[in-house]
Amino acid sequence: MELTVNGVTRAISSPPLTSLLQVLREELDVLSPKAGCQQGGCGACTVLLDGEPRRGCLVPVAAAEGHEITTVEGLGTPGDLSPIQAAFHQKYAAQCGYCTAGMLMASHALINRNGGREVQREQVIEALSGHICRCTGYVKIVDAVIAASRGDVDVEKEQGLLVAEPSEPAVEPKGAPA
Amino acid sequence: MARHQGRGFATIEYPTGMNQNGDPTQAWIKLKPDGRVDVFSGTVDIGQGSKTVHTQIVADTLGVPYDWVTMDNSNTDSSAVCTGTFASRGTFIGGNAVRFAAERVRERILDIASKELEIDPGDLEIADGEVVAKGAPNRKISVADVAGAATYNYGELISGQGTALKPFAEVNDDDGSVQAEPHSAVSYAACVADVEVDDETGEVTVSRLVQVYDVGRAINPVLVEGQIEGGAMMGLGLGLLEESYPHYPSAEHRGEQFGAYLAPAIEDLPELDNVILENPSVDGPFGAKAIGEMANNAQPPAIAAAIHDAVGVWVTEYPATPERVLRAIKARAQPRREGKRVIFDEEISLRTVSANGGAGFLEV
Repeated sequence: MELTVNGVTRAISSPPLTSLLQVLREELDVLSPKAGCQQGGCGACTVLLDGEPRRGCLVPVAAAEGHEITTVEGLGTPGDLSPIQAAFHQKYAAQCGYCTAGMLMASHALINRNGGREVQREQVIEALSGHICRCTGYVKIVDAVIAASRGDVDVEKEQGLLVAEPSEPAVEPKGAPA
Repeated sequence: MARHQGRGFATIEYPTGMNQNGDPTQAWIKLKPDGRVDVFSGTVDIGQGSKTVHTQIVADTLGVPYDWVTMDNSNTDSSAVCTGTFASRGTFIGGNAVRFAAERVRERILDIASKELEIDPGDLEIADGEVVAKGAPNRKISVADVAGAATYNYGELISGQGTALKPFAEVNDDDGSVQAEPHSAVSYAACVADVEVDDETGEVTVSRLVQVYDVGRAINPVLVEGQIEGGAMMGLGLGLLEESYPHYPSAEHRGEQFGAYLAPAIEDLPELDNVILENPSVDGPFGAKAIGEMANNAQPPAIAAAIHDAVGVWVTEYPATPERVLRAIKARAQPRREGKRVIFDEEISLRTVSANGGAGFLEV
C-alpha cells in the first residue's frame, strides 16, 4: 500500500487493518497524533482525511489509501505557523499539550468548512465536542479558534517568539582568553 | 416536573505542599562566564507553567533579563531533588528553592562587583543585567563582566544552592499528639455555582461559576488564569461526573472503556467569571502562595449547595449523578423508608449530629 501524508506519498508495509494512527506513529514516525484512549473517545489522534477530521485510531489504514492525510506536521512548522497554530500559541490554549494536536486538526477543519467566515462559539463547541482536554478547561481553546477564524492573530509575531534566539550577552567578558 | 434554578457557594483554604514533613525542593544555579544563568531544578512542568514561573523568579531575584536564564529540569539524574508536582507546591516550594539559590548567587555577584568597583556590596544593586552603585548610576559593571572576572581573575564559579524545606512536626509517641508549626502560606478561594436541576431526569447543569482565588501574588497572571479555568472544569467533573468508586482503590473493578469514566467535555463548559486576589504571603517567592490542585476544590461543595437550593435535597455522595439526585428527591418524599441504605435527611441528620457527637448520617 501507499499512503499520502502531508503531501508525501510513501510505501508502507503494515497489514491493511492496522489503525492509521499506528501506521503514522510506528511506521512513518509522524508523532503529532497522540494515542490516547484508542477507542475513538478522546480525540487526541484526530487527523484530516481529504480535509475532514477523522479518528486515526478508528480508521483502518487500507481505508486511508488514496486519500490526502494531513497531520499537524502538515499544518505548519515553528518558523512557518498556520493561523490556528499561531492562535493557540497566542492565547495560551495548551497546557500539557496531549490533546492539542487533535484540537488543532479539528479546529483547522472547522475554519475551512466555514469558508473563511468568523466561527461562532456554538460551532466551536460542536466541532470540538469529541475532544477531551483535562488541563485548560477549554476556555482558551475556544478563544483561540474564534480568533483564528477572524484572522485576529499576528502569525509573524508568534513565529518570532517560537524561534527567537536568546538575546546576545551584554559584552564579551573581560579577561577571557583571546 | 420542572427545571429548577439554584445557587450555592463554598469557600476553601489550601495549605501549599505537604505540611510538617519536610517536603523539600532543591535547586542549584551557576553563572556562565558571559553572565548567562543556568538553573538546575527538579520541579517538573506538566504544562502548568512552573518552568516559566521559576525562570521569572530567578531573573527577577538576580536582576537579569528573562532570556539570560536557562531552566534545566529535564534530567532527574542530574537535577536536584523535588518531592514532586502536586499539592499546589510548585510556585511556593519549588519557587522558593530557586529564589533561595538565586539570592546566594546574587550575593556572590555583588561581592565580586564590589571588588571590581571598589564600592561596598550594600551600596550596589542589580537591574537589567547591570550592577549599579545606588545613587551613582554611572558607577556600574555588567553581570557579564562580573561573571567573566569571577571566572578568569578570581578563580570562582559563581553558584548557589537553595532548598525549600518545611519544618517537621513533633509527634509524641506516647499519646500520638502532634506539635506543628502552622504553615504561613495558606491560599483562600470562594466559588459560587449557578445550576439548573431537572427533577424528572435528575440531570444537573452548571450554568455559571464565579470564582475568587487569593494566590498571594500572581507571578504569571495568564498561567494563573489557566490553572483556574482548568481547575473549574476538573471541579465540575468531580461534582457531577467523575466516579472513582468502585474502581478506586481496587484495580479489579477499573473501567475498561474510556467512556466508563466521564470527564467534562467542552459542552459542559459553563460561563466562568474568575477573580484573582493578591494578598501576599510572608515567605513565598515575591509573596506568592498557591494555585494548582486547590483550583478544583471549591466547585463540588458549591454545586451540592446549589442543588439543595434548587430542589431542597442534599446529595451526600459525589458525583451528583442524575440517579443520586433523583434518589435524594425520592428520599425526601419517604425519609424513613426501611432498608440498609443510608439516607440523608436534613432534620433527622441535624438531630443525629448533635446526638452522636457529629457522626452525621443515620442508618434507617
